[in-house]
Amino acid sequence: MRTKTAAAAVRSLPYADHFELTEADYRRILGLALARGGDFAEVFCEYRTFGFILMEEDIIKETAESISLGLGIRVLKGEMTGYGYTNEPSWPEIKRAAQTAAAIASGRAARPPSSLKTARSSLRLYPVRVPSHRASLDQKIGLVREAYQTARAHDPKIVKVKAALGDSIQYVNIVNSDGLLIRDVRPLVKLSCSAIAEKDGRKESGYHGGGGRVGLEYFEQTLKPRTIGLEAAGEALRLLEAREAPAGEMPVVLAPGHAGVLIHEAVGHLLEADFHRRKTSVLWDKLGTQVGSGLVTIIDDPTIPGYRGSYNIDDEGTIPRPALLIEKGKAVGLLQDLLTARFFKAAPTGHGRREDYSFWPLPRMSNIYIAAGPHDPGEIIGSVRKGFYAEQFQGGQVEDSGKFTFSVSSGYLIEGGRLTAPVKQATLIGSNIDILKKVEMVGSDLKFSLQTGTCSKDGQDVPVSDGCPTLKIARMTVGGLA
Amino acid sequence: MKDVGSRAELRRLAERLIKLGKACGADEVEVHVGRGTEFHVDVRLGAVENLVEAGSRSVGFRVIKDRRTASAGSSDLSWPVLERLMKNAVARALLASSDDCAGLPPHSRFKVEASTLGLYDPEVPLLSSRAKIDLALETERIALSDKRITNSHGASFSAHHGGIILANSNGFRGEYEQTYCSLGIGLQAGATDDLAEDGWSSNRRRFRDLESPEAIARKAVERTVRQLNPRKIRTQNVPVVFEQDMTAWLLGFLFGCVSGTAVYQKATFLAGKLGLKIAAEGITVLDDGLMPGMPGTRPFDAEGVPCRKTAVVEAGILKNFLTNTYAARKLGTDSTGNGDGSGVGPNNFYLVPGRSTPEDIVGSVEKGLLLVRTLGHGLNPVTGDISRGAFGLWIEGGAVAYPVSEVTIAGNLGDILNGIEMIGNDLDFRSAIAGPTLKVAEMTVAGI
Repeated sequence: MRTKTAAAAVRSLPYADHFELTEADYRRILGLALARGGDFAEVFCEYRTFGFILMEEDIIKETAESISLGLGIRVLKGEMTGYGYTNEPSWPEIKRAAQTAAAIASGRAARPPSSLKTARSSLRLYPVRVPSHRASLDQKIGLVREAYQTARAHDPKIVKVKAALGDSIQYVNIVNSDGLLIRDVRPLVKLSCSAIAEKDGRKESGYHGGGGRVGLEYFEQTLKPRTIGLEAAGEALRLLEAREAPAGEMPVVLAPGHAGVLIHEAVGHLLEADFHRRKTSVLWDKLGTQVGSGLVTIIDDPTIPGYRGSYNIDDEGTIPRPALLIEKGKAVGLLQDLLTARFFKAAPTGHGRREDYSFWPLPRMSNIYIAAGPHDPGEIIGSVRKGFYAEQFQGGQVEDSGKFTFSVSSGYLIEGGRLTAPVKQATLIGSNIDILKKVEMVGSDLKFSLQTGTCSKDGQDVPVSDGCPTLKIARMTVGGLA
Repeated sequence: MKDVGSRAELRRLAERLIKLGKACGADEVEVHVGRGTEFHVDVRLGAVENLVEAGSRSVGFRVIKDRRTASAGSSDLSWPVLERLMKNAVARALLASSDDCAGLPPHSRFKVEASTLGLYDPEVPLLSSRAKIDLALETERIALSDKRITNSHGASFSAHHGGIILANSNGFRGEYEQTYCSLGIGLQAGATDDLAEDGWSSNRRRFRDLESPEAIARKAVERTVRQLNPRKIRTQNVPVVFEQDMTAWLLGFLFGCVSGTAVYQKATFLAGKLGLKIAAEGITVLDDGLMPGMPGTRPFDAEGVPCRKTAVVEAGILKNFLTNTYAARKLGTDSTGNGDGSGVGPNNFYLVPGRSTPEDIVGSVEKGLLLVRTLGHGLNPVTGDISRGAFGLWIEGGAVAYPVSEVTIAGNLGDILNGIEMIGNDLDFRSAIAGPTLKVAEMTVAGI
């Protein structure tokens, strides 16, 4: 952007060097976007840098750096969205994007706000002492090497290791026709390691990692690269001894932490308000009713400091708050973005998120978890005579109908109230209301999963995390081979 | 809509970056420039819900210095930014480790003429917004006119046109223009507590090759309602029939297992099995980048290596792995022209069709599962193990009897490939990875 008015205001905008847009420019863009009478217009400016380091075959194989710069303009008219974006920050391109978005409406021009009010989030959720994007490549290579070498040296049966560090820093400026101007600067870092173990021709793999919206000090204080390497190697070695998972319906106990993905799939997606606006979610007509066991309380909380799914403002500039979704088995809340909140005449919960400037926001989860319950984890396992203990998860998927699956990479058989043989690779399948009703015991040991998760919806990826205590589900279909 | 950045400008930018990289001390430089225009509309219940139109461009490059590699990319094409990224990249390369296999492909004299490949349909950029919106509206209108359909996820039309420019310091210069368009719909049938959902879409390079709104709507309706009122089944080992899209899904997993990257990383159960029988005798799987008009067709890969036709599996024997330059050097072979970003990607990767009609295949099954969709993760290339949630139709006495729900399928890709008993004649390139209907002798289907 080069404009005549730029100079004066630029100094008050700390990231203005990337966009060089002044308040007057923003108002002009909003004016273009509202030229055909939209109800609401918004400008989302994003500048993000990514860094990546990969180690495999005992060498630092490649490093990468990339920059993403762009601006998305959205106009709402009723339930309709017009969207234009550009990554060429010139007036003709911005104007074109604004006109594209404006075309969703067809009427007399609406007035842009006469002034913008710069707002600040009350939240400070990114506890960073050593920003990864500013740290030297040497320091980051050191972390990758440590994770790699620990896994490699752990056991002669470890035949292959891969370790990677990825980080990004995202600057967003959000301006809308309600007169809001707000910014956020979001760090994100992830260190992960995968290992393959081989014995008698059989191969198995393990994975571990962590990070979040934190600085590199996290890898000294919270999760050491060494631990990441050891855990990845350990899982691969354990699986070498694992047998095929059982098949059929049986009681299932979910290990604390990783099984949060089940809550994410089975409950979270179906309480995203866009699926309720369209009445496609199986839960759309069940708000206020009992949908599950009284032991189940589920919360989505974007305000947990340092977590992957957290943010000071969402991608529409709303300051987020924890959303109570299920209270003692009753569906009580939805994840709202601005569009759905207008539609339902509800307060936005600050769950409007987008992958980047080329997408419009959607209601999304952040850090979702099932609250701790009354049961001792040992007592839960002890209550199962014959069943399946699901420990590590690869991920899951759900449809609006509530049918979901999730993939267990490793677990144990439960026999006579004790964990016995380790088992590998199984798929759990069910439908959400059925599973929520069958939650029989909830542990007191709430844990969050690895800070490495990503959620996909409508082709948009955003970082998330999830948590849960030890959980017993009375019966569930386990798909294994044995 | 005008394209972002003229081709000549972007070509000059690529040349300038190569020059800069060399001046910064790089031994080799590769520059990739992409530009494109996107149109997308979602309609739902008879009205436009989302309408997007945008142009974008980006540049990516890779430098090699003393056999050390670094890469970078940017959607900000201002010269000072690119200059800084290039200088950083050369500096970063020196912090990586020296790797004998690193480097650009050698210059190839052999060139594929992009204009004969049918990559570009001049009609796509000329379609009016109104026409595109109307196609989506028409598709949904026809689908919703069926009373069994209770809700719509919406119908969408997308169109893309754009170009790729690739240049490197070994003298490679290549570029091509391409188009894609797609029309599809997602539907629900049944009451809220017993929903079935599915849909259908058609994706092609040429606008006139798209299936009609009627055909798409009819297929989407049929696919959705056939899943209504499912039953649960007992856990059992039975024959499984893979519909076309399920064969494509299985081949996608096979691709991951024959990718040269996975092979040199020892991350696939097929490593070390070249020349061995890995599938039933009738199975031939090819990768062919030169089939005119197909979704995965391109004149050269992401490194400028000319695309070609490679036999991956021939009559059940594993013949070749698919490689980029790096994986090929690791494995001591030549690149098959499957370079894709920093990894290996498919061109048109497909299973050669057989003679059976899909009806013959279903008709041959006394008791088994017709697999129509899977859900979830559960693919492990290291072992070949598969475990997925599945949606299907139960076959009894050679005919579809009823839908089944909450089942999972489990098996091993090696066993599945060896257990293929019948191959359909219905190959259709709905995406770059495609295959016909297949019958697999036995898999574990887990239910209650």
